[in-house]
Amino acid sequence: MAVAVTSRLSRLLGRSRPQLGRPMSSAAESGEGSARMWKMLTFFVALPGVGVCMLNVYLKSQKEHERPEFVAYPHLRIRTKPFPWGDGNHTLFHNSHVNPLPTGYEDE
Amino acid sequence: MTHQTHPYHMVNPSPWPLTGALSAFLLTSGLIMWFHFYLTLLLTAGLLASMATMFQWWRDVVRESTYQGHHTPPVQKGLRYGMILFIISEVFFFAGFFWAFYHSSLAPTPQTGGHWPPTGILPLDPMEVPLLNTAVLLASGVTITWTHHSLMEANQKESTQALAMTIALGIYFTLLQMSEYSETPFTISDGIYGSTFFMATGFHGLHVIIGTTFLTMCYIRQQLHHFTPNHHFGFEAAAWYWHFVDVVWLFLYISIYWWGS
Repeated sequence: MAVAVTSRLSRLLGRSRPQLGRPMSSAAESGEGSARMWKMLTFFVALPGVGVCMLNVYLKSQKEHERPEFVAYPHLRIRTKPFPWGDGNHTLFHNSHVNPLPTGYEDE
Repeated sequence: MTHQTHPYHMVNPSPWPLTGALSAFLLTSGLIMWFHFYLTLLLTAGLLASMATMFQWWRDVVRESTYQGHHTPPVQKGLRYGMILFIISEVFFFAGFFWAFYHSSLAPTPQTGGHWPPTGILPLDPMEVPLLNTAVLLASGVTITWTHHSLMEANQKESTQALAMTIALGIYFTLLQMSEYSETPFTISDGIYGSTFFMATGFHGLHVIIGTTFLTMCYIRQQLHHFTPNHHFGFEAAAWYWHFVDVVWLFLYISIYWWGS
């Protein structure tokens, strides 16, 4: 059974091999010219896509959002052990406007 | 007989594997000293030793290949296997963090509210900066492919331009993530959500920085004309690594940012 499967598989691989004779070809171009395709994709698809997403972020950031009220949940702001920097009570990217300490927002 | 009659590379004795192992020991014990005793001497020594090892080891690889010609086709084939195996090991590394995320998010505990995201966690909008980050990395995948094809067509000017754009996009991603990290309302100490989020995205960010550094080294070597249209494995290895980093991000985006929100 296993022998029949493996021989069928190797025949499948053997049949597909002749089509792999052009290592430099992409779907439409061969050798010369494939760089040009990727250059076109860069400037007409990839970078405009980034631009659209940048615009989207900019527009969404215009809206001012309220920060949530502080509730001292026991499963958040865990302090099993002090952090090995500063006063040991602030995370590495601490932002006092949006990150409350276990006792609440620092600026309230 | 002073020349070899085989195509393999019999590498000369080198101290860098030893210094690498010693630096790994210093790094690990250094992290313990820092986390548990707030002392940073060992860690600093470990960082310096590992940086020095990497610089000197890879400088020697460039010398042996570009300047001494030891990288024959069979040698290059071995290097290809090596890079592929390394990337596979990295896939398993990230698999662990994804396992942790799915373990916790598929069966949320009552202690965190019985749902995901947990009570009190305000997840990031996947359609804002995370989507931009996705576009940036996908675009960098296109520019690096443009770089490769330009390299194979011996177009120095365009391969330089495309590689510079790839590196710029990588740096842009890193800057965007650093800004996101400073603006998120949740932190690493916010329970299992915070832990899984920052461990997974944090290690990904570290790999983006590593990939960007690798690409920058390729840029420098490109300027020094180390690559030929047919032989540029250093660049290919960097490109494979970069695509890997991109794929990990796609998994992160879909699992943690999108499904997990």
